[in-house]
Amino acid sequence: MRRAETLIALGLTLGAVLLVREALRVSISWTSVGPGAGFFPFWLALGVTICAGIILFQSLRAPAGANGGDRPFIPARAWKPLLIVFLPMAAVVAVIDYLGIYIGGAVYLGGYTWLVGRHRWYTVILVSVLVPLLLFFTFERWFLLPLPKGRILEYLLYER
Amino acid sequence: MPLLSVFNDLLFGLGVALTPANLTIAVIGLILGTAIGVLPGLGGTNGVALLLPLTFSLTPTAAIILLASVYWGALFGGAITSILFNIPGEPWSVATTFDGYPLAQQGKAGIALTAAFTSSFIGAAVAIVLFTFFAPPLAEAALRFGPPENFAVLLMAFATFTGLGGANPLKTILMTLLGLLLGTVGFDIVTGQPRMNFGLVSLQSGVNFIVIAIGLFGLGEIFLTVEEGLRLEGVRARLNFKVVWETWKLFPRYLWTIVRGTILGFWIGVLPGTGATPASFMSYGLAKQFSKNARRFGKGEVEGVVAPETAAHAAGIGALLPMVTLGIPGSPTAAVMLAGFFIWGLNPGPLLFQTQREFVWGLIGSMYITNVIGVLMVLTLVPVFAAINRIPFGILAPLIVILSSIGAYAANNQILDLWVMLASGVAGYLFKKRGYPLAPLVVALVLGDMTEQSLRQALIMGQGSPAIFLTRPIAVGFFLATAFLFALPAIRALRQRGRPQPVEVEPELEG
Repeated sequence: MRRAETLIALGLTLGAVLLVREALRVSISWTSVGPGAGFFPFWLALGVTICAGIILFQSLRAPAGANGGDRPFIPARAWKPLLIVFLPMAAVVAVIDYLGIYIGGAVYLGGYTWLVGRHRWYTVILVSVLVPLLLFFTFERWFLLPLPKGRILEYLLYER
Repeated sequence: MPLLSVFNDLLFGLGVALTPANLTIAVIGLILGTAIGVLPGLGGTNGVALLLPLTFSLTPTAAIILLASVYWGALFGGAITSILFNIPGEPWSVATTFDGYPLAQQGKAGIALTAAFTSSFIGAAVAIVLFTFFAPPLAEAALRFGPPENFAVLLMAFATFTGLGGANPLKTILMTLLGLLLGTVGFDIVTGQPRMNFGLVSLQSGVNFIVIAIGLFGLGEIFLTVEEGLRLEGVRARLNFKVVWETWKLFPRYLWTIVRGTILGFWIGVLPGTGATPASFMSYGLAKQFSKNARRFGKGEVEGVVAPETAAHAAGIGALLPMVTLGIPGSPTAAVMLAGFFIWGLNPGPLLFQTQREFVWGLIGSMYITNVIGVLMVLTLVPVFAAINRIPFGILAPLIVILSSIGAYAANNQILDLWVMLASGVAGYLFKKRGYPLAPLVVALVLGDMTEQSLRQALIMGQGSPAIFLTRPIAVGFFLATAFLFALPAIRALRQRGRPQPVEVEPELEG
């Protein structure tokens, strides 16, 4: 927990320094139209740097028991469920060009309810078919909001 | 004259809200909102953000009525999960678990639920009346604000997070600045220059507020729920007329708790940046201090349910006051609604009262109506809503993830935004675990443009000298309040030195 506090503060400090540099690419001083484009972001980024720097400094000086002490930041038993939620989510986003939200969503829903939720096969099929269908009609038909359908669904819907 | 015109406007607003279309939308919003409130892991802020894409095809009036009704529903729904399952469905109902669940365990779930709904109703009803009469004069006063005053008000809004937020002040300031900073990504509105985009074309359209809000509040919350491992073991409850009547007979003795909770809640809600959550905690604390039954608090005291619920609803209403009159959201949920204003083609600010009469008064009128429908609905349908919690988390979690992705994509039709959402989900999880408050970032992000513009215009007025702020008495007043708010954590620390540290719940300023 202590190390996490330090690492997060360190990350924020470094990120903020990058943002200060980025702000300096445009004028931060007085121009013909008043304060330059970089004026506001520059001072903000500087403020973030200072705050993050102080938090970092404090975390390094904090006594051993502070900031949650040596307890792990993420409990060991939580890693697995967290990764099971996150990794497939990232995977679906990565291939969304092909699968689209509807097929991708069906795969994600089905996989999760089956492998993590450990539901019976008919629940899995029911959920992963009905939900995407309902979403499809809600967004594409009733509210006329086209969502990414992916190459597979587009082929099936329009090009055949 | 002004009083009469308020009544006229109100009647007009009630008429707008009572048209069949708007009434249907309000009821749909209430049902969805209550469901969102009941479900842990799906919060009001995120719920409103997820529904935002569905409002693109509605008129602005119908859209705001839908989103506001979702908010009211979520306020009601949070209490059901708190009392029956001992898990707050929403952050603002954490304080309701303290006495609500013990009551339910003693077989008095019906009393606790009735008390929660009734006090919510009273708190909201009084707050709505206050809203009706405070909003028009406030908007009128705000019309006279120039850039220096606007900047001063915004600064005060950010200072409230630090002063009253309860989180580490440094972390709060950092998150506020970070939110403002994210708002500068893209290009500069004054000079038209691209900036803060690291040379990436895809960042030129800026960082989308909705995407960040869904990531931080939606996915972040899912990660936290998954980590803690959700186990729902509920108490069954049935409400019948007898229980309701018996509970209502108790109410006169809670008069002062209700009055205190309502006034406190309303003002905390109005203060930009603080919402229903801190209001509910403070009201609970005060009620405990003043009550004759202080020792029974935490063991199943009806007053301990009444106090936070009254304040939470009053604050929920209050939070919309600065949103409608000044264009400053009083809470993260209001910030999401405010983001909607831009999408629907409205310019938030005091001018709304003059240019968008139907929108403003339709919203106010719908508050009166949805509050009445809402309380009747939850009183009669508790078993139905409680049953929603029987949806297993193994189905609910992926469903929320998919809805979040749709919401994030639809905000801007960009696949890149899905990555931004994922990243902010992880960031939200890390931040929340280490006590970085999320609400200031979200509110600052939505107010970024306004803050920068008012600051730059004010500086131009002063020909580059910040002394311009000192020549404006109203602005100076706001600055003094700002300074006080920023100093508040330090003052509190000094006063507590030497005393034993009280164990305090750190409320995340959500709602």
